[in-house]
Amino acid sequence: MTQLITPQAHLRSEDINVWFGERHVLSDVNLTFPENQVTALIGPSGCGKSTFIRTLNRMHELIPGAGLSGAVLLDGQDIYGDGVNPVDVRIKIGMVFQKPNPFPTMSIKENILSGLKLSGRKVTNADELVETSLRRASIWNEVKDRLNEPAISLSGGQQQRLCIARSLAMEPQVLLMDEPCSALDPGSTRRIEETIEEISESMTIVIVTHNMQQAQRVSQQTAFFLAEDGNPGTVVEFGATEDVFNRPIDPRTNDYVNGHFG
Amino acid sequence: MAQVIAAKTRPTSAPWKRRNSRNILLVTLASVLPAAVAAAVTVLLGLDGAIGLLVLFVPLQLIASVGIGGYLFKKRGRQDAALIVFTVFFTVLVAVLLSSVLVAVFEAGLRMMRWSFISQNATYISPTTSLDYGGLGHAVLGSILVVGFTTLVTVPLGIGVAIYLTESRASGRNFIRSLIQSMSGLPSVVSGLFIYSAMIVTHWSGQSGITGSLALMPLMLPTVARVCEEALRLVPTDLRSAALGLGAPNYRMFLQVVLPAAKSGIVTAVLLGVARIIGETAPLLLTVNPSAGTNLNIFAGQIETLPTYLFGNLSLSTDYSVQRAWGAALIVLFLVLIIFTLTRAIGGNKQLKTPKKRK
Repeated sequence: MTQLITPQAHLRSEDINVWFGERHVLSDVNLTFPENQVTALIGPSGCGKSTFIRTLNRMHELIPGAGLSGAVLLDGQDIYGDGVNPVDVRIKIGMVFQKPNPFPTMSIKENILSGLKLSGRKVTNADELVETSLRRASIWNEVKDRLNEPAISLSGGQQQRLCIARSLAMEPQVLLMDEPCSALDPGSTRRIEETIEEISESMTIVIVTHNMQQAQRVSQQTAFFLAEDGNPGTVVEFGATEDVFNRPIDPRTNDYVNGHFG
Repeated sequence: MAQVIAAKTRPTSAPWKRRNSRNILLVTLASVLPAAVAAAVTVLLGLDGAIGLLVLFVPLQLIASVGIGGYLFKKRGRQDAALIVFTVFFTVLVAVLLSSVLVAVFEAGLRMMRWSFISQNATYISPTTSLDYGGLGHAVLGSILVVGFTTLVTVPLGIGVAIYLTESRASGRNFIRSLIQSMSGLPSVVSGLFIYSAMIVTHWSGQSGITGSLALMPLMLPTVARVCEEALRLVPTDLRSAALGLGAPNYRMFLQVVLPAAKSGIVTAVLLGVARIIGETAPLLLTVNPSAGTNLNIFAGQIETLPTYLFGNLSLSTDYSVQRAWGAALIVLFLVLIIFTLTRAIGGNKQLKTPKKRK
């Protein structure tokens, strides 16, 4: 492994191996996520992409029986290093989940501010923060008159954008998105993709998706994960999105992106 | 044109409810005839009501319903009819049994209801004193104190156990869970005996409100712990992940996300716990020394509680004291009602209410 990291490398995984109990599910994942770029992780179900994305902000270790080796470097610092508090890692590296999960006991406004309160930080000029966050997630116009209503009164697509806004309010350096559109209709999906494009100007984004078109629309680089015949999942191909989809090197990548399996 | 006319006629709003007059007639017959026949035969032959109900009415109703159900809808109709007859019969049976308890308590208890019965205590009251004098005010206060103290100690303990069981990954969880489960099977008199032999026989403590409270704690704890555990377990993992993903330490995730989401379940746990112990008599008979006077100090001295007042008056078995026991039973019912209503009003789940209308 070269010590020289590409100058704009922001987040980087080195030899990530993952186990659940005795089962080896991911093997030697080396990926580099450059600053302010969108990286798409694609691959069939069960290939370990969701598992991998959870190792990037230490959510993985919350699963009983989880094991890991390797390093994840954020600006050159290993997030699994000695004395690193996972809580601090998750503040810097935010996450949006597959299913919209706003806090049901809180209003829309409280949901946006929940991150700050949950991480024990003071909230100054709350109204401004709520507005900017909701604007960046392009949901402000839909909810500006009902900020004090329960978050669960929103539709699924709105809830997911609220969750994105909630993560943005924390001003993370990296945003991880685990199939954020899989439960949404095409209209909501389009709006979230627009949001991704907009916020990628100021943060690094990693997105897991099953939607080939989505990967091509939103990402600059793509990693194709595959787990074959009981072997642990691994990265088959990693490169610029255009190359992975139009000029894949590996025949398995070609088969997958052209819909021959998966 | 035909379509326009069709659109103007009122569409059948519920096609699955369509019935023709023959079906209605047959179903009505099946519902009315057996009862009428059974009633007539019972009255004419002068049979016992229970025999008329069980031997005549239930089989007749079953035959009639299954026959007509089968005639109208074949096998599906027969099964449906049999199930309906049994369901309704047992529902009514249970409802009658339960409400007969309530009716008995209300009928006998209401005769005792007067202000003096609630406001006065039983000092200078003998089993033959007029019912217009003396009451159970001291027992209500005593019960509130003893149950209140028990709740005060047990609820945090029970919630603590539930948190340990759901939020931690400690290896002792299964052991603790089975311990709590077996505790819920503890006969209440054993709990009383334990405190009696451990504290009172040994002269470590006299009988007081506290010893009564201690005897009630092992009875309340498993109920609170298990219902709480269930409530916490029902909070979706998604919410926990969301909070942790935002950089929340575990304790903040629990306090700000899990606890509010489980609030109504925890309130239920507390209520069920209180309901479990408020009428417990056996442990209190062993650990509390009843008094006729009011005692607001649960740490020392004789103290009366509702169950012991009820039991004491019942065992005196004069007409008047039995009357007082019925009155006490009704007061226990009301006390439970008041506690439930208050707690629900204070701690009820507001999140589930429909959102306010938008302007």
